[in-house]
Amino acid sequence: MTAPSRASYAPPADRGQRPADRLAAPGSGGRRDLGRAGFALYLTGGTLAALVFILPFAWAVLRSFMPEHLVTQAPSGQDFSQLTTANYSGLIQTNDILRYAGNSLLVAVGTGLLTAVIATMAGYGFARFRFRGSGVVFAIVLVTMMIPFQALLTPLFLELHSLGLTNNLAGLALFYTTFNLPFGVFVMRNTFLQIPWEISEAAAVDGASAARTLLSVLRPLILPGIATTVLYAFLFSWTEFVGALTFITSNSLYTLPLALLNMEYGSVGQVNFGYLEAGAVIAMIPCILLYVGLQRFYIRGLVSGVVKG
Amino acid sequence: MVLVTPAVAMVALFVLFPLGFAVYISLTNWPLIGSYHFVGGSNYSELAHDPQFIHSVLFTLLYTAIVTGPIFIVGYAMALLVRGGRFGSVFFRTAFFLPFIIGLATESFMALLELQPDSGAADFVLSHLGLVHANTAWTVSYGLGLTAICVFVTWFASGLTMMLLMAGMQGIPTELYEAAEVDGASWWQKEWRVTLPLLRRNIALALIISVIGSFLAFNQFYILTEGGPGTSTQPVVMWIYEEAFVQYHLGYATAGAVALVVVIGIISAAQFYLLRDSNDKQAAG
Repeated sequence: MTAPSRASYAPPADRGQRPADRLAAPGSGGRRDLGRAGFALYLTGGTLAALVFILPFAWAVLRSFMPEHLVTQAPSGQDFSQLTTANYSGLIQTNDILRYAGNSLLVAVGTGLLTAVIATMAGYGFARFRFRGSGVVFAIVLVTMMIPFQALLTPLFLELHSLGLTNNLAGLALFYTTFNLPFGVFVMRNTFLQIPWEISEAAAVDGASAARTLLSVLRPLILPGIATTVLYAFLFSWTEFVGALTFITSNSLYTLPLALLNMEYGSVGQVNFGYLEAGAVIAMIPCILLYVGLQRFYIRGLVSGVVKG
Repeated sequence: MVLVTPAVAMVALFVLFPLGFAVYISLTNWPLIGSYHFVGGSNYSELAHDPQFIHSVLFTLLYTAIVTGPIFIVGYAMALLVRGGRFGSVFFRTAFFLPFIIGLATESFMALLELQPDSGAADFVLSHLGLVHANTAWTVSYGLGLTAICVFVTWFASGLTMMLLMAGMQGIPTELYEAAEVDGASWWQKEWRVTLPLLRRNIALALIISVIGSFLAFNQFYILTEGGPGTSTQPVVMWIYEEAFVQYHLGYATAGAVALVVVIGIISAAQFYLLRDSNDKQAAG
């Protein structure tokens, strides 16, 4: 490893990580220039639009608490009077939904942690140390973001299969981690570039190693970047469908989307829509909690310029 | 060097190697099990005459052509609504973006229920408005299935366009609007002469990301219409999946996949060019 030197330090480039949440916004100003009527119109329109996006989820939650025979009937006044947890208890007892949720959680947490560790190391390496060809290597990592994993399912299947990583939750997490890395490395490199070089230099003068500097001195400064990386990796992994469909065929290893698909296709006779709805509600809970709680980190990632489509 | 090795190794092992391997497979008649031999470019020439593959390409293009406009317009309107940071705008923004976070797979299962004849919310609402019969089965017909999925995907994806445009709108210096106001510009004039020109790059990015997403569509079709009736609503990624893992024509399927990589690569290259451009400008400024 090349020793860090002042010459290798690239000045922090502001890559448009503007605070998206800031209050004063151009072109519109505050409430004043809208006027009372305009502001009322804005609130009404915004609320109606918001309902279009929220009501389907609220409706799904309500339906998941209806008995199956009502779920398969047209909505009516009865819907609110016979609420039950039968779909959830049925799912847990007959469909083993907790196992599938556990599989999803295991893969998503594994993907999040692995992506965070590897992307932080690489981001630190690319931001602080310049070695022969580092620019080219970084460009190659970034360019792989252009390659859609959906188009690599066949070679990946053969490769993972020969490595014993199909029908393997660790293999799935490795696959998810890889396709989250370019974005993670990009975010972490920018994070490190925005930290004043003097801070880690001072730590070095005090005798701290690169690893120690990273773990104790820089940690609070890079946590937002890590949160962004983990959040993207977790949500990607939790919601991913076609990769899991390809690489996992053994029933006991299904992730949640596969378990739901199995309820749609695999069941003999009628689809139990009550179960399906309850399963969908279970699948959306972590997404809502994480997004509402950590929204500012998510938006940081979006605004950083490179988005996974 | 040591620090970047794990990341580089994983990208090399699970992206770059499969990419090269894909080209190799596409030149063979690779079955799932058993031996294979080279067939040269015959998979590719066969693709060009395969009505099912051509249909999936045309269908994907049609789908993309239909949804791109509505996603952009709805996203732009929502960005206008939330960009000002007024009371309530964070709540609105969160609501508009929620479908994108929860993901198409989960939502497709929800939609499957609501698109059922007689019991679904779609029929309930639309039949009360007098638009359709209460027993309309959305997912088993080509036209109805495509219509439902396009509305559904607009609902899903416009939040992402909103976020990308909002970030651009908030980056426009306030002074420009103030100067326009001094010159007596109306709201429309400010939007047309200040916002739009300065937002060109963000608009291009949002459109590119949206188009790539549409080209890679899979979940909504696989879950809602199963590609049917027949294979009429089968997008390209689903053609690749079925050809490889249902028909076991791995070599042939991979030839289609390589073609997809090339197309997406060209579109993404435009995206990177735009991003590079914006970074250079900021560095210079």
